Amino acid sequence: MTRGFLRNITFYTTVLVFQLLIFNHLKIFDFITPFLYLIIFILYKTSHNKTILIILGFITGIIVDLSMQTYGCNTFATITICYLREWIEKYSFGVNSNLPLAMIKGTPLINRLTFFGLIILIHSLIYNSLIFFNIEVLGTIIFSTLTNSIVTFIIIWLISQLISNK
Amino acid sequence: MQSIINSIIKNRNLIIYIILSLVTFNSLYKTSSVHYNGIGKIGTYLSGKSSFFSSFIYSYFDLKDKNQRLIDENFELKKIELKYKNQAFPDKSLESNLITNASVILNSINKSKNIIVIDKGKNGGINAEMGVITSEGVIGIIKSVTDNYASIISLLNTDLKVNAILKNSSTIGSISWDGLNSKILKLNDIPLSSSIKIGDTIVTGGMSFYFPKGIPIGAIINYDNSSLEGYYDIDVSVFNDFSSLSNLYILERTDNDEIKNLLND
Repeated sequence: MTRGFLRNITFYTTVLVFQLLIFNHLKIFDFITPFLYLIIFILYKTSHNKTILIILGFITGIIVDLSMQTYGCNTFATITICYLREWIEKYSFGVNSNLPLAMIKGTPLINRLTFFGLIILIHSLIYNSLIFFNIEVLGTIIFSTLTNSIVTFIIIWLISQLISNK
Repeated sequence: MQSIINSIIKNRNLIIYIILSLVTFNSLYKTSSVHYNGIGKIGTYLSGKSSFFSSFIYSYFDLKDKNQRLIDENFELKKIELKYKNQAFPDKSLESNLITNASVILNSINKSKNIIVIDKGKNGGINAEMGVITSEGVIGIIKSVTDNYASIISLLNTDLKVNAILKNSSTIGSISWDGLNSKILKLNDIPLSSSIKIGDTIVTGGMSFYFPKGIPIGAIINYDNSSLEGYYDIDVSVFNDFSSLSNLYILERTDNDEIKNLLND
């Protein structure tokens, strides 16, 4: 049990508690619910095991789904971004994708923005597609995805900047 | 075995992702009525599409049987049609019996004396000088018969002349082929005094041993009334496509023997 592991557990628990107690009940403009918990999968260190990341995504997704009564929409969206994270990293950071903590420090801003944006956008798109689950409301799905992604992105970006400054 | 295990270990993330996705969708399917209906619809659509695809493939394997069943059914219907005609119109020139149906095994259209060979002969009840038709119209006359095969003098044979009439006016003529175009026959012996027009249907006249009255042959597509002999020169587009014949019906006039005996006396 290293200090790093305990710090990660604390960070994970804190984020999840914030998500369940505050953000799940937040309805910005009556329909936007920010997914703060995505910060866990964005800041997950690339040197760690990808299998553990997928399982962590599954457990987190189930917890959020149970609290939001969304039956599995969060779970599927989360395990998908966990599975795709490796490709998103490579796409966003290019040759720097293997560097530890590459996404937080020492990389161009545009790379970090792309990485954050893609993870949040893909998650939001899958989540909203499953929530509505009807091709006839495609416009609503896209609108909800975009608005939700923007708000989630702003919150996660600000928090990640605070963490990295510390 | 080792390579399978290695492959599983190599793709463990994908396998875990698929398993967890299935678990998630199972939960969605069981707990949410919206997703239950949606996934149910997708399932119905997929099973419908796949069964359509498989039945589309399998249908090719029994086409031959289906075709044979249709031929047999057609033959029975043709028999009923002729029987009905015989009863409904008590006219000797209409009477005929459908003997059998047969498949073409040899056919030509590019000679001046074209012959068709079919896969039935004496054993199938076929005799020489019987008429041969399809559901579209006249084909020709049985020329010679062996036990299992028969040859037909096709309408596309310059030696054959078939008694024909204009369906609307009952003007009598004879149909023959000039050996040029396999889709066009010549209608002869129609006097210039007759009224004809393009599109008129030509049918058998019933004044021969081979065909009853009223079996379609073709339609007038062109005519020339400038002949000095007093007869039209008429081109008839034949209803049958002689290049793609497959199933034929053989028929005979019911009163042939009696008439022949009368003529011999």
